This record gives sequence, C-alpha cells and structure tokens, in this order.
Amino acid sequence: MYKEICVFVENKPGKLSRVAETLGKAGIDILALEIANEGQFGVLKILTAEPDRAKTILEEAGMTCAFNNVAVVEIPDHPGGLLRLAKALEKSGINVTDAYGCILERGKRAVFVVKGDQLETIETAAAEAGLRVLEQLE
Amino acid sequence: MSDIADLIGSRFEWMSRDELISWQCEALRRSVAQAAKSRWYAAKFREMGLDPSSIKSVEDIKRLPFTTKEDLRQSYPDGMLTIDREDVIRVHTSSGTTGTPTAILHSRADIDCWAELMARCLAMSGATKADVFQNMSGYGMFTGGLGLHYGAERLGMMVLPAGPGNTARQIKLIRDFHVTCIHATPSYAMHVAERMISEGDDPSSLGLKRAFLGAEPYTEEMRQKLQELYGFKAFNSYGLSEMNGPGVAFECPEQNGMHVWEDAYLVEIVDPDTLEPVEEGEVGELVMTTLRREAMPLIRYRTRDLTCILPGDCPCGRKHRRLARMMGRSDDMLIVRGVNVFPSQIEEVIMRHKWIGGNYLIRLTKAEALDQMTVQVELARSEFDGSVETLRNLRAQLQKELREQVGFNVSVEVLEPGSLPASEGKAKRVVDERA
Repeated sequence: MYKEICVFVENKPGKLSRVAETLGKAGIDILALEIANEGQFGVLKILTAEPDRAKTILEEAGMTCAFNNVAVVEIPDHPGGLLRLAKALEKSGINVTDAYGCILERGKRAVFVVKGDQLETIETAAAEAGLRVLEQLE
Repeated sequence: MSDIADLIGSRFEWMSRDELISWQCEALRRSVAQAAKSRWYAAKFREMGLDPSSIKSVEDIKRLPFTTKEDLRQSYPDGMLTIDREDVIRVHTSSGTTGTPTAILHSRADIDCWAELMARCLAMSGATKADVFQNMSGYGMFTGGLGLHYGAERLGMMVLPAGPGNTARQIKLIRDFHVTCIHATPSYAMHVAERMISEGDDPSSLGLKRAFLGAEPYTEEMRQKLQELYGFKAFNSYGLSEMNGPGVAFECPEQNGMHVWEDAYLVEIVDPDTLEPVEEGEVGELVMTTLRREAMPLIRYRTRDLTCILPGDCPCGRKHRRLARMMGRSDDMLIVRGVNVFPSQIEEVIMRHKWIGGNYLIRLTKAEALDQMTVQVELARSEFDGSVETLRNLRAQLQKELREQVGFNVSVEVLEPGSLPASEGKAKRVVDERA
C-alpha cells in the first residue's frame, strides 16, 4: 500500500504554481500529478517518493492536504509492459475505474497506480502474477 | 384634478394639509384605542402606564411605544389581533424569513381599504379602467401579487394574474391581450427586455405605457434604462407586508418621490440609534403607524428602511408628502429578487456543516439583470479527506439547504481555509456588487 497526497485547490490561476514552487524549494520531485476538477475547486493528487515530508511542507505553506491510499505496482517500461498486470486484474475480476501510470526509469521501470476500495485484492493479484508491489518509491 | 379622486371615490386624495392633519388626529385616537383591544398592546400600554384615551393629537405619538419586527414575531400568530377571529378574512406572512414568520391579519374593511389605497396609486399614475394590467408579481403569502391585483380590479382594469417567470408566456400575453401596464420587480423587467433583445425582438414593440416597479431597491439609472428600452413610464412603488404590502407610497407622474397616503399611514423619520425625530428633510429610519387598519393596527412600526421626506409641495397638487427612494436599511436585511434575506439565515445553515469553517461571505451580483447570491465558505482543514466526490456532494447538499432556507438558488464557492478576510469584531459578511 502506498499513499498519494491530495491538495485542495481553488480553480484559479496561480494555485498550481504555489504547489510546484513549495515542493520545488524543498527539493521534492513530483513523479506524477493528477487534477480532479469540480469547477470552482479541485483536488491535486501528487505522487512523490517522500509523501510524509511533502504533506508537512505543503501544510506548513498553508495548504489543505490529505493522504489517499493507492496500490503502486511496478511494471516494465516497454511496449506491452502493462499486459501482465492487466491480465492479472482481469483474472481476479477487478474493474479498474481510477488509475494512472508513470515512468520511473525510461525504458526500464514504470509504475501503475491504482485507486479504489479493492486495493488489497489488487496487490494480491499483482504479487501472484510475479509483479512487485511497492511500499516506497526511489 | 378631482377626476382621479372621483374614479376611486376617495375623499382623502386632495385633502389640504390641515384637513389631513385633523383627520390624522382623529384616526390616531381611533387606531390607538383599537390597538388597546389586542393582548399585545393592552399589556404593553399597561406596562408603560399609558392610558390610550390620553392620546389626543399627532404630537402625542411620541408617548407611544415603538413596534419592531421582533415584537411581531413574539406576538405571532395573533397576539396583536383586535377583532374576533371569525371576522378575519385574510392573513399574509412576511416573505423570505424562516423560523417564526410575521403575520398580518386583515378584516374585510382592511382588505377593502388596502384595495382603495392601491387603486389610488394606480390612478395617480394615470391608469384608468381602460387599461389592461399584467401582474408579474408572485401571488400567495407574498403581498405584492394580491395587493396590486385587488387595486387594479378596484380601478376596473382588466387583470392578467400572470405571476412571475415563464418569460415567453409573459411576452405572448402582453401581445395577445394588448396589455398596457405591468407590475414587476425592476430586475425581472430588465430580464424580459434583455431576453427580447437577445432574440432580435424589441421591447418597445410591446406597446406598454406604464410599469409599476417595486419590491427591491434599484437605481434611477436602471429606471431610465428600462424606460428607454420599453418606451413606458416607470413608477416607483413602496410597501411592506407589515403595512399591508404595496400601496403605501407611490409616484405620481412627476416621478419625483413617492407620495405616502397620509390618511392611512402616520409617518415619522427617526434617528435609528436615538429614536429621536430627525430634522425635516434629513435621512433616517421610516416609522409608520397605521391609521385605517382595523384587525391589526400597528403603532410606530420600525420599518428599518432609511429614507427622507422630500421638502416642498409636489406640482401634482397632492398634499400627501413624498418619500425619497429607499437608501438602505438600518439593519442588515438584504433584498434579493424581492425576497427578504438576513445574513443570519445563511449563517444558520452554514453552522450545520462541519466540513466548512464558520467564516463566510455573501456576494450579491447581477447576471442577465437577475440578482445572484453566491456564498463563499472555507473548507475546514481537518475535514478534508482528499476526495473531490465528497466535496461535490457536500457542496450540493449545502446549496440545497440554502435554497430551502431562502427560496431561490444560491451558489456555493468552497475556498481554501484562511482565504476570507478574518473577522475582527463586526465581520463584513456581505459584498453587494449589484449596482
């Protein structure tokens, strides 16, 4: 199990810069970022190797944050690299509704980040298929 | 000039100042004696050691107690009633407020008098029985609809009780029935005009002659604009449910101040803090005493509306003095789409929601000439669970509760904690950007 950071933001110019600037100054690398938009406001979902420190820093800068549990499965970064995981999820009858991927090392390693309420089942299915479920990211 | 008085059959229309004051003395004595028959005023007079029969002239008004909206709430539903319940033929309650509303009960004579006062307003504008009148005001507990309706019928106009909304139908009715006069809020009149223009139509092609505009404050510039767009003459109307509703004060064709029917209402302008009368012509809070109401007379009712009496005589010849356009409120009541809203009503709903903090700001704007209310709230840091769906549902729930509270759609903006100005002492809760 891993966690992404969720940051509440009003939907107006400058809000993303503030997050980028705060994390940049602290030397925190954003591995992946997603925006869930609700018109007047939204929630930024940030994947980083240092979620605890990132959350503390963002909160110190006055932002409103929370953690969200995710399953992070390492997959090879090449064409078809997602297939083994996709097959494993299919076999377990899991319907993925919210997920994204990101590259850790170009041509070598990538991760598939899955959300929802079946995280443990997903992790078990991935492990049984011989894939690494990550508890931390480097 | 007396033609108009004859139209309505009112002996009050063209009274001289002396005749009016002499009538007021007599009517005030009667009103106070009548009020003393109610549980509320009987107790009040007793408590003050006031003998109602000691009130002999208009000058004695200073010895009478003020009546406030809170008094009306406390005496709800019929603590101020002076007649048998079976002789009451109508009740109206105040618009927009929740919790305990305020109620005004009317006898047959009261409804009759109200219709007369209203008919005199319409006749004063130049309307006659030959006119066709479309009433775009809400009927029901709101006094704007039935008030104008009865007045227009008394004058003998053909009335279309269209009610508010359904703009396409309003336009069709005006054309099909050759409507010459309308009653609407200024913002709705503007909305209809803008809608017509956007569809390539011309509001002046409707052939309207007069518009009676009221129920919400608006500027002289907006009146001018409406008159230009429609080619009608727009008359300002003032009223409040506690004083029956519309028909309290109305403009004559001079369009310079609203004549208060002083045969029916005794007018005082007081300093809202000291409650002492202001100098003539100075702005203060309008205080009114009913002079011709039977079922539920009100003594020195504090309207909370700020205005002044315009000095000098009106060229129209009427001696009923004129009120200036309302200049604001001595309390924090807002008038949005003709509905009375207190910030405390919004606050009450906000305080039920733990996911937002206690700080909030009400923003009033106009979109397509209609009042819009936006309530800005701050997300409570500790309640954020990272889910946008949770926030979406909470916001929808809050909007629903606000709509139920005030009776129109309110949009909610969720801000980051600490983004609203921190309240130091008396918080600024309202930003009005409608002008």
